[in-house]
Amino acid sequence: MIEINALTKVYATAGLPAVDNLSLHVPAGSVIGFLGPNGAGKTTTIKMMAGLLTPTSGQVRLGGFDVTRQRPAAMTRIGAVLEGSRNVYWSLSAWQNLMYFGRLKGMRRARIKDRARDLLTELGLWERRDDKVGGFSRGMQQKVAIAAALIADPPIVLLDEPTLGLDVEATRTIKRWIAELAGELGTTVLITTHQLGVVEEVCDRVAVIRQGRLVADLPTRELLAGSRERDRYEIRVEGAAPPGFDGVTRDGVTTITLRVDAPGEVYDLVERLRAHGVVLQSLTQVRPDLEDVFLALIQEPAHA
Amino acid sequence: MTFTRGFTAEVRKGLLNVVAGWREVLVNLITFPVFYLLIVLFMGRGQLRAELLLPALLGMMALTFIHEQVNRMFWGYLGDIQSGVLEQTYLTPLPSSALILGRQVAAAIAALPTALAVLATGAVVIHAQGGRVPFDARVIVPLAAIVVGTCGLALVLCGLTLVFKRIEIITQLSVAVYAIVGGTLVPLAAMPDAVAAVSRLAVPIAPGVEAMRDILIGGHTLTDLPSGWGLGWLLIQPLLILTAGSIAFNRLEHLAKRRGTLGRP
Repeated sequence: MIEINALTKVYATAGLPAVDNLSLHVPAGSVIGFLGPNGAGKTTTIKMMAGLLTPTSGQVRLGGFDVTRQRPAAMTRIGAVLEGSRNVYWSLSAWQNLMYFGRLKGMRRARIKDRARDLLTELGLWERRDDKVGGFSRGMQQKVAIAAALIADPPIVLLDEPTLGLDVEATRTIKRWIAELAGELGTTVLITTHQLGVVEEVCDRVAVIRQGRLVADLPTRELLAGSRERDRYEIRVEGAAPPGFDGVTRDGVTTITLRVDAPGEVYDLVERLRAHGVVLQSLTQVRPDLEDVFLALIQEPAHA
Repeated sequence: MTFTRGFTAEVRKGLLNVVAGWREVLVNLITFPVFYLLIVLFMGRGQLRAELLLPALLGMMALTFIHEQVNRMFWGYLGDIQSGVLEQTYLTPLPSSALILGRQVAAAIAALPTALAVLATGAVVIHAQGGRVPFDARVIVPLAAIVVGTCGLALVLCGLTLVFKRIEIITQLSVAVYAIVGGTLVPLAAMPDAVAAVSRLAVPIAPGVEAMRDILIGGHTLTDLPSGWGLGWLLIQPLLILTAGSIAFNRLEHLAKRRGTLGRP
């Protein structure tokens, strides 16, 4: 379980807070997508959660332990892959890295060996376990970083852009792992990514942060359902777009995309098109995906 | 138990990194002895004079050790900060002291081969000239003082690099300063009193080098060291530097956590 209470971080060199009074509760066994545009404060929040950055105010508790005041206990509950860093030693082999990080976590050698064998086999790296990580592809290096984060079976896993640079197969493996971690082992997973398809697929909850503030924290389904009133409709008509409508014409067919605030407005649109004498080919409701919802949330005017 | 596991893992990792970088070690094993011979040739105006070989050897061994230990420690730490791996080492229940201690021990072990290569070279040349390199078990005390003091200096430099960028120049400069005024090549007794005093006060290897010369060349005992400020200072100075280094590192680490500079590109 992750509990974040009124977390704030103000860097001395910046006037505005990077994270502003953020509160978030993630129940055990859930997978939460922590989203936001670049510079929104995601990495700052994750580093405070991991105890790598001291908050200006507020508190983070991992599995009931305060990250600042009960650091050793809190750190036994966490594994993390941090974005934009190597996470593991490139001068060492995959096996040596897992042995090293396992020992740092306080594990016994025999247990590390068993766990490392399982992880490397699962990620398809067993045959290359003795090769230096520096010689691996970006995707393989990321796999080793994920394996190192999971070596001690932590109950809480923070994954900052875990699928960046991974191929389709590896991305699928990571997604399956995340689902298994949460579903079978009860691991709490917090994931940040710009690949919103991954979030939609694996996260049962989504939190969106903008300018350091939390602007949404809902179950994924609820977040998507809450945006239905902003559904889009795609209308295809023969010939050019009638006056008052914008569309893209191709091969004599114009596609008009409109957003409506209420389903009843669709009938009005059709009436207006009929009044212009256009021939309607099709009318399709386009359900918003997470990308639409995310963009809508981060583009809304900021509240004072 | 966790502390011990973390410490041993850190030492092991440090030594694995040394093995991985064996080419660099090989280069150092050649260049430092050559540098020693060139220094003696320079000091002897083109000749390997017998009276210069042993004093310069003791100084050069200490200088080689501090150069290797501090640089390995500092550059390894800086590399881990810049690559982001250092942050991963903080995601453990271990106190950072376990890891930093492990790094220090690994760096000290890694510095030994080059220092021993200098010693071997000096011994061969001295033997070829009909002399010998004396040994006295009491020299272990100044050697230990050099190791402890050097660890203190490395702690200060690593702490600084956690917070401030471009500390590299200070690291390079500090080792260069020790070469010039640390009593390694020119004895402190031959320097202006003020310089010698500052050196004995703040340079981690200075009292150790003076004591080594007194014991091995002068034949003195630990309680009868004619150069420098005596046995008491020989023991206290490295401990003071180590304590100052530990306090500085701890403070700078806290500052780094406030500023978010534990990991940076």
